[in-house]
Amino acid sequence: MARVWHHDGVSALRHDTELTSVGDGFRLATAPDTVIAWADLLPGDDRGGGPIYRHKTLPGWRLGFDAPPPLEIAAKLPRAARYGGLIDRFGLGPSVAAFAAASAAVLVAVLSAPYYIAPLIPASFERQLGDALVGDMGGRICDGGGGQAALDHLVARIEPAPEGLKVRVINVDMVNAVALPGGNIFLFKGLLQAAQSPDEVAGVVGHEIGHVRNRDVMQALLRQTGLSLVLGGVGGNSGGYLNAMVSATYSRSAEARADGYAIDALRRGQITPVATAGFFARLAASEARLGRAAAALGYLSSHPMSQSRAQAFRASRVAGTTYASALSPAEWRALVDICRNDPDAAKDSGLFF
Amino acid sequence: MGVGGQDETAFAFEGRLAEFVPIALTNIVLTFATLGIYRFWATTRERAWFWSRTRFIDAPLEWTGKGIELFIGFVIAAVLFGLPFLVFNLLLQGLILQGQPLIAGLLIFGLYVLLLFLAGIAIFRGLRYRLSRTSWRGIHGGSDDNGVAYGGAYLAKTAVGFLAAGLLIPWSMTALWRDRWSRMSFGPHMFESQPTWTKLMGRYLIAYLAPVVILIGLVIAMIPLLMVAGTQVQPGSTPPPGIIIAIIAVVMLGFYIIWPLAALAYYSAYTREVIGTLRLSTLEFAFTARTKHWIALFLGNAGIWAIAFLIAAIPIGALGLFDNFVPSAPGDNPLRDNPVAYLTLILALIVPFAIVGPFIRYRNWRFFIRYMEAGGEIDIASLTQSKTAGMTQGEGLLDAFDMGAI
Repeated sequence: MARVWHHDGVSALRHDTELTSVGDGFRLATAPDTVIAWADLLPGDDRGGGPIYRHKTLPGWRLGFDAPPPLEIAAKLPRAARYGGLIDRFGLGPSVAAFAAASAAVLVAVLSAPYYIAPLIPASFERQLGDALVGDMGGRICDGGGGQAALDHLVARIEPAPEGLKVRVINVDMVNAVALPGGNIFLFKGLLQAAQSPDEVAGVVGHEIGHVRNRDVMQALLRQTGLSLVLGGVGGNSGGYLNAMVSATYSRSAEARADGYAIDALRRGQITPVATAGFFARLAASEARLGRAAAALGYLSSHPMSQSRAQAFRASRVAGTTYASALSPAEWRALVDICRNDPDAAKDSGLFF
Repeated sequence: MGVGGQDETAFAFEGRLAEFVPIALTNIVLTFATLGIYRFWATTRERAWFWSRTRFIDAPLEWTGKGIELFIGFVIAAVLFGLPFLVFNLLLQGLILQGQPLIAGLLIFGLYVLLLFLAGIAIFRGLRYRLSRTSWRGIHGGSDDNGVAYGGAYLAKTAVGFLAAGLLIPWSMTALWRDRWSRMSFGPHMFESQPTWTKLMGRYLIAYLAPVVILIGLVIAMIPLLMVAGTQVQPGSTPPPGIIIAIIAVVMLGFYIIWPLAALAYYSAYTREVIGTLRLSTLEFAFTARTKHWIALFLGNAGIWAIAFLIAAIPIGALGLFDNFVPSAPGDNPLRDNPVAYLTLILALIVPFAIVGPFIRYRNWRFFIRYMEAGGEIDIASLTQSKTAGMTQGEGLLDAFDMGAI
């Protein structure tokens, strides 16, 4: 027997009554005909006083002790809930360790799986996705007098089988180049104007082709999607920021592989790699003058420059090789002026890049 | 039973911070360890504690919601709205890249209309869920309305409020308050509320006109400044820094202090009016917080944020020093080569801000209960169980919109 208080869940009245243990359950003096099974009790709020219990199927039904219940009754009552069922069973420490290990495994899987999945995605699907996304770039693609032919020639020199590649120039005044899904590579007009020779452009194009051939674009897309799914649980914007930070740091090894591809491509085309190294060094110097804020929008922010990177290009020069210019002077002029000679190309409105 | 005697308030918060800290800290640890999934259970634990430490007349409130309900609500919102939104975003990017800004603009407008409608439903269902999981002496609240009609009203009234040059916002806010609360119940009784919006117009107009008044005030204040500057500054040269600092200080004072204060004065009157006209059968509610109390609340919360910023500034400062000692080209990120340092930095930045959340919610809840009052008679025997249908999922949609309580 024990003194208890009780809400029946039907009205707000509080009944102060007595509990009598009967077999697998108990009886309350206010309802002597009803036996309630111990197994139907759930732990209720912990208010710091005596324990409170709820009923599995009767909403609002409450049973409370004002003082700690007698031992023979306490033994039959369910244990207090604290963090949630699973954690209460294993304890806080082991649960945190297990959760952290599982989370780390999920993150590693999400970050590394795209490397293996991307090559399995059919090129045709990626092409459709790329075309749907890119379209005609809002009419910004330049096609002035012989410029595209010159660019195609340059691509053909470093890439003997340029299937599935669409390398084009867009009318945007920024020193940058991007590889988008479906083999779409865009050189920004500003990059052509900053370059001093077609050999420098060849290195940049080779690097972007490397991203396409290594399926880096698809990988990045998959990684981004996977991370946003996993970090969706973090909630609000913090998940988004975390996502952007994690995926931004991950492209480092991909950059190195794309550089390797560019170096091989330049060697195939017998174009000097020293020009590319020089171009990078010049960009770094000019962006140092402009300051970091301006640099954040340029080529080097998405293609981080380092001594080792330029060095790799410089070191790939083979002594005794005769290097030929990537384009004839006439072709080079046509490429540099590809946008000026195309009055139809939409002007960079500065809105979307 | 009589409620709200002379020196006895009907609502009281009896929690102690020392009791709350272990709950907040273990919640943060578990949330980090589960990549955020535990946050639904964390919210539930936090609420269960807030509610159980809140006394109404002679018995505490009880939170009967479960973490799994919030989790299911989140998953449903993510599948029903998150996925289509992702696809829509991709479509929009494609349209913009292809130079179709008009169609893209129309689509964005349509999306905003839809979002406003969904936000209304989310607010309604969030309130309904909270009432249905709030129990007092074993009796809970709720609603039998699914909130779709309220979503429409929310869209229409918010649009009217803004379209009338924003002048009818007090009307839309009070009308929507009445719309949602008059569909809610507790036990056998429906809530009623008839707030008057015209009473709020004075304070609203002050807040509404504050930016204009501040601008005019600024122009007048500029005259002596410019006269001083005119004697010292040659045309075409940069004015001395003292003048610039003075101008910036006046602008900051106007737009970051005076305007928000005017808005707070309106909001304070709004909460007193809407809660003050809320009734449940013979019970009448009141909310007594005045503008000065709201200011104290915000200053305290701002103080907590400031502490978090100070703590987070330590790793950023360390990084700045580190960055200066590492020779690097622009665009080069010294952390790129060091994932451990990178992760440490991210954690050092996130942890102080993660800890802020629970303490702000603690202060907000204590504030809310401290100024919440109720008066009138309540007949316990006739306060019978609510017949409203239970909800199976929590406030996932509200969560998806990142909206606050009440």
